[in-house]
Amino acid sequence: MKSGKSLSVLIAVLMVLSFAFTVQAGEKGELMMATTTSTDNTGLLDYLIPFFEQETGIALKWTATGTGKALKLGQNCDVDVLLVHAPPAEKAYIAAGFGKDRREVMYNDFVIIGPKSDPAGLKGKNISQALSAIKASKAFFMSRGDDSGTNKKEKLLWKNAGIALPDKEQWYVQTGQGMLATIHIAQERNGYTMTDRATYIKYQEQQGGDAPLTVLVEGDDILLNQYSVLTLNPENCPDAKYDLALKFSDWMASESAQNKIGEFRLLGKKLFIPNAK
Amino acid sequence: MPITSVAETVLTFLVEGFFKAIELLISGDISTWSAVSATLNASTGSMLVSLLTGLPCGFVLGYFDFRFKRPIRTILDTLLALPTVCVGLIVYAFISSKGPLGDMGLLFTLTGIAIGQTILAFPVVTAITAAIIENIDPALKLTLVSLGAGKKDIILTCLWEVRFGILAAAVTAYGRVLTEVGISMIVGGNIKYHTRTMTTAIALETNKGLFADGIALGIVLMAIAFTVNLSLSFLRKK
Amino acid sequence: MASPVPLYTLCRLCHYYGGKKVVDIDEFNIPSGSITGLSGPNGSGKTTFLKLLAFAIAPSQGEIRFNGRREYPMSARVRSRVTLMTQAPYLLKRSVLENVVYGLKIRKDTKKLKQRAERALAAVGLDFDGFHNRAWHQLSGGEAQRVALAARLILEPQALLLDEPVASVDAESARLILKASLAARDKWGCTLIIVSHDLAWLNACSDTRLSMEKGRIFSTHEEIILPPPYQTVQTGSTVNWILPLSNGRQVCLPDKTGETALIPADKINIAREVETQFNGKNRIPVLVTRMALEPKTGRIEVDLNADAFGLTLLLSKEQAGALNLQPGKKRILVFRTRDVFWR
Repeated sequence: MKSGKSLSVLIAVLMVLSFAFTVQAGEKGELMMATTTSTDNTGLLDYLIPFFEQETGIALKWTATGTGKALKLGQNCDVDVLLVHAPPAEKAYIAAGFGKDRREVMYNDFVIIGPKSDPAGLKGKNISQALSAIKASKAFFMSRGDDSGTNKKEKLLWKNAGIALPDKEQWYVQTGQGMLATIHIAQERNGYTMTDRATYIKYQEQQGGDAPLTVLVEGDDILLNQYSVLTLNPENCPDAKYDLALKFSDWMASESAQNKIGEFRLLGKKLFIPNAK
Repeated sequence: MPITSVAETVLTFLVEGFFKAIELLISGDISTWSAVSATLNASTGSMLVSLLTGLPCGFVLGYFDFRFKRPIRTILDTLLALPTVCVGLIVYAFISSKGPLGDMGLLFTLTGIAIGQTILAFPVVTAITAAIIENIDPALKLTLVSLGAGKKDIILTCLWEVRFGILAAAVTAYGRVLTEVGISMIVGGNIKYHTRTMTTAIALETNKGLFADGIALGIVLMAIAFTVNLSLSFLRKK
Repeated sequence: MASPVPLYTLCRLCHYYGGKKVVDIDEFNIPSGSITGLSGPNGSGKTTFLKLLAFAIAPSQGEIRFNGRREYPMSARVRSRVTLMTQAPYLLKRSVLENVVYGLKIRKDTKKLKQRAERALAAVGLDFDGFHNRAWHQLSGGEAQRVALAARLILEPQALLLDEPVASVDAESARLILKASLAARDKWGCTLIIVSHDLAWLNACSDTRLSMEKGRIFSTHEEIILPPPYQTVQTGSTVNWILPLSNGRQVCLPDKTGETALIPADKINIAREVETQFNGKNRIPVLVTRMALEPKTGRIEVDLNADAFGLTLLLSKEQAGALNLQPGKKRILVFRTRDVFWR
């Protein structure tokens, strides 16, 4: 079959040619970053990073994973710089000799969201009271369960409220997935969950502005969600591009970047508040 | 929730996904096409290497009798069930900066993904080829010897004679490679425009709750697989 | 007979398959340019024997000499000098032409391929233009077998081993296959060794007729097999071996010194029922089932059915006439126990 054979040849040629099109970026002026799903899924980095590349000429590639994995990647020297949101873990990281410089660049807050009907009656309570109410009513609570920055915060909140982590409770659902996925699961099961505000706004945007889950608990100081840039300790990672990482850290704190962070909005709302000093 | 509206919400993203797929293909959306290119790149490279190494190994395993043949076959068949995430982790351990092959800079690259996919595809090609060779009609070898074939001719002619079975092995391996997520995610890092493959893109969109986009990309992936298999189908017997 | 080196010399040839002895030949020669016909029941080792002669497998014990030299499988001197054709037609998955020229291509003998292929196909009665492009799956059984033969004849081998060449084919193909094989012998002295169940045809064209039984070779017309099962009978303190027949009759055999009982053909007398002679002689009633002229030697082949087994004797025209043999007539076979031997 002549036509068949030429089709096969064509496909083969196309496949080989496709090699040519994915040009791997050169080694000079390239930075590899590990960050968390909350920064990536909101679309902030897609919006922000091209400006960095324009203004400094450094190409930045990033991989979005949970905080735990991001820290591990830094420890293994597989990346050059980190953008994470787990301050206690970050400080311990530096103390352990894996990280060098920590620079706070932006923040938002965590909130508890849940169904509008609020069966556990969380509205108006502070965070510790709210968690007690959830435990008492045995309402479904979705946890990230993946040792991410968000998850670490959540565990801290339970501890702070004096409640042992409800690890084996039937109503405590550990999804092991990203924030948006966890929110969707909460929506499915009519449950509560703790999320960062930026992801919540993204979720609202996905739902066309009117989401079944709404913010019920907010405002406590402990709910602060601080994002920082961490450079890696050259003693642990001599091959990591320390100077480029510093440049990135400086740029994130620069007026240009800080303004852009503030300008990033969905549904007219700010997702991250710049707070570099 | 009343039954009809539950069915409505669940099925709508399937339908939405279908139309989105067409839209993505026609509009030439760059993030989609870069993912297509990344997938084709990694899968083609890994298929070529796994065929070049797996075919001779499978032949040797099926053709000759030697002491450890049975245990090797069993181990090989077990490797067919390797979870892709585990392969990803193993490859990561080697190519991580602190790993033995760290200096090669393979982590977060398509080459790294291709290496992992080769490890995935190799047992498939080898095990199926060995099974095919073992089941070769004994009359074939007898005929070849009768016509004066030497060792080299026998091996090459045998492989050609079973080409249809080998094609099946290649198609099976290709399916496994094309649809794997674990290796691409862990070794590649799902970096947009660089190592974001079709499957990691689908995983990402699904994780963000954008199920329709996930389905759309899935349909595009299936379209690629269909096109490749269509071209291969002309190589079949009739 | 002049003694050129026999094509094959077999010495103490033994082959085991799964612990069972399937070929057991003490000493045997096959002359060059001869036609040997081999028959025997299923499982008697005929196919294994051919595979050994084709050097497709190595014998468990013993040696096979080809042209006077001891040879082994894959030996360069044997390759494409000996060729075997399997019972079921088997072709490579390619066109008829590619099948026919395969052997020539691998020995890099590629001059005038098309013409030689045309001649080889013509020898088996296949028209080149109509067939050379056909795919392997577009042929009937008979056509496929003929193509397989053409692929071997084109190599002009010294020995052509045919395993039931006409068993799976139509009558016309059978005729053409046999014609081409015999022509090979005439043209370049090809030695033919043919295994077949078609005894009439085998008898008609073979120089040497062999039978195989349990891995051992017997000269078909010269040694008559008295087949098992054998039994022992106790009379007093002695144990005698017998071959039981129907109607309570039996054949008395000498002490068992081998696996199979045989009697030389020339030690058998054919008598009519009327004659009665006892004393150490065995008498087996037989029915004449078939008589045919063996064109090679002009003798008469007489097939006899003894109920428990069958045998074929070669008689001269005069002998057959004197005994008034005709198909359908009953006779008695008479022979002495001490003429029976074991092997």
